[in-house]
Amino acid sequence: MEDFLAAAVEAARKAGEIIRAGFYGKKGVEHKGLVDLVTETDKGCEELIFTFLKQKFPDHKFIGEETTAALGPEELTNEPTWIVDPLDGTTNFVHSFPFVCVSIGLTIQKVPTVGVVYNPIMDELFTAIRGKGSFLNGNPIKASSQTELVKSLLATEVGTKRDKPTMDDVTNRIKSLLFKVRSVRMGGSCALNLCGIACGRLDLTYEIGFGGAWDVAAGAVIVTEAGGLVFDPSGKDFDLTSQRVAASNAFLKDAFVDTLQQSE
Amino acid sequence: MAQPGSVEDFLAKALDAAKSAGEIIRSGFYESKVVHHKGEVDLVTETDKKCEQLIFDFLKQQYPNHKFIGEETSAACGTEELTDDPTWIVDPVDGTTNFVHGFPFVCVSIGLTIGKIPTVGVVYNPIMNELFTAVRGKGAFLNGEPIKVSSQNELVKSLLVTEVGTKRDTATVDAATNRINSLLFQVQAIRSCGSTALDLCGIACGRLDLFYQHGFGPWDVAAGFVIVTEAGGLVYDPTGKDADITIPQIAASNPHLKDVFVKALQWK
Repeated sequence: MEDFLAAAVEAARKAGEIIRAGFYGKKGVEHKGLVDLVTETDKGCEELIFTFLKQKFPDHKFIGEETTAALGPEELTNEPTWIVDPLDGTTNFVHSFPFVCVSIGLTIQKVPTVGVVYNPIMDELFTAIRGKGSFLNGNPIKASSQTELVKSLLATEVGTKRDKPTMDDVTNRIKSLLFKVRSVRMGGSCALNLCGIACGRLDLTYEIGFGGAWDVAAGAVIVTEAGGLVFDPSGKDFDLTSQRVAASNAFLKDAFVDTLQQSE
Repeated sequence: MAQPGSVEDFLAKALDAAKSAGEIIRSGFYESKVVHHKGEVDLVTETDKKCEQLIFDFLKQQYPNHKFIGEETSAACGTEELTDDPTWIVDPVDGTTNFVHGFPFVCVSIGLTIGKIPTVGVVYNPIMNELFTAVRGKGAFLNGEPIKVSSQNELVKSLLVTEVGTKRDTATVDAATNRINSLLFQVQAIRSCGSTALDLCGIACGRLDLFYQHGFGPWDVAAGFVIVTEAGGLVYDPTGKDADITIPQIAASNPHLKDVFVKALQWK
């Protein structure tokens, strides 16, 4: 496991260099959707990470955001599978807004087992191995101990779908939650929101309808190893491929799920 | 060394004050905080009060004839009216909720108005080590490097930032989220970071394209106002009229986007 983590950290740092180098310059932006962006940096980083990890672990499987966009989704099997978002927060990258990261997760038997999330602009490296704790730049981190929703800081994202029913759902949910929590943040990176839960700077996060497993595979390990919980917004078990996620510390889960249910 | 009583001198002293307050914020950031409530979700800590005291004491010593408006003093004693006198308008910790949670978007905001015009602005985030500065007529800077607003001219490619504020009555929350819903159809994406002053600085350095907020105090915007305008941006009332920093509604963008943004903000 430590080998897997070391390789993932090395790949993340290399990709982080590319992101950092391109961060303040002009970017060539393509559109996967009206507001769903991709750049050469996304593609370059995914290629670098895949090439590096495939060389070390030729029998492993790979699922990446940009490869999936090009070739269609791969099914998640029990094989060790690297699930990679080469640049989470592409919109932020395009605007030079500093919430961007590489997210590299490894599942074994479909269970997220190794997680690395690296923000090269703020120089924050989040790592975790199942059973071995969670770390930020090598220092152990823990989810918050907040027990009251009204004192909790919530992060969510508006996503990239712009049809009216989705937008109405998104804002109605936020409206409903605003009456119950302390405040709401929208930083633009799902993986970094999960890491925020893990290190206690956020208490609650949810996102419904994001790109894919690559946004959450690494963050899921990092949260659980920090003593937090990752679950479906309905309260049921988390499903990595469902494009639905919620996370909090252990104390807040029930109240959070109740509030999310009421907002449906 | 700047001539005493010159705007450069005002900037230099504001910088000293901001850095000292920044140290206090940095040292308290990862510790446990004692939180008091000004409202259900409107927080204040000992750090806010200590920083405001430090900044006021320091600047009053330098400029005994200047006036002072600070968030925590106003909370205690009521807000002073803004006059033509040189007036320091200070938010000792903008993003107190973030400070309490250890979320790294916090800053000291120190603005100076002369003739009611924001003339000197310093915003310092000691956690991310970003120091934004501007003097009227002399440009805007981030850690000493000149900054400019973005050149984006299309709403649909623009990154919008706003804050939900601290009022939780139904009318305010409804209006805030309905406005967000309406804008979501027109802009690229929305961010909410928890610090009005840092949002304005984000406009100034081009990492954000559009900003608006309803419900804040003049201390949240006095410094950012100069920083945005000196970076080539515009600060205005969301209706398109001139901004008045004592009225709690404001918008900011680069010049290309102002008209379309004002139109988009007229949601009913």
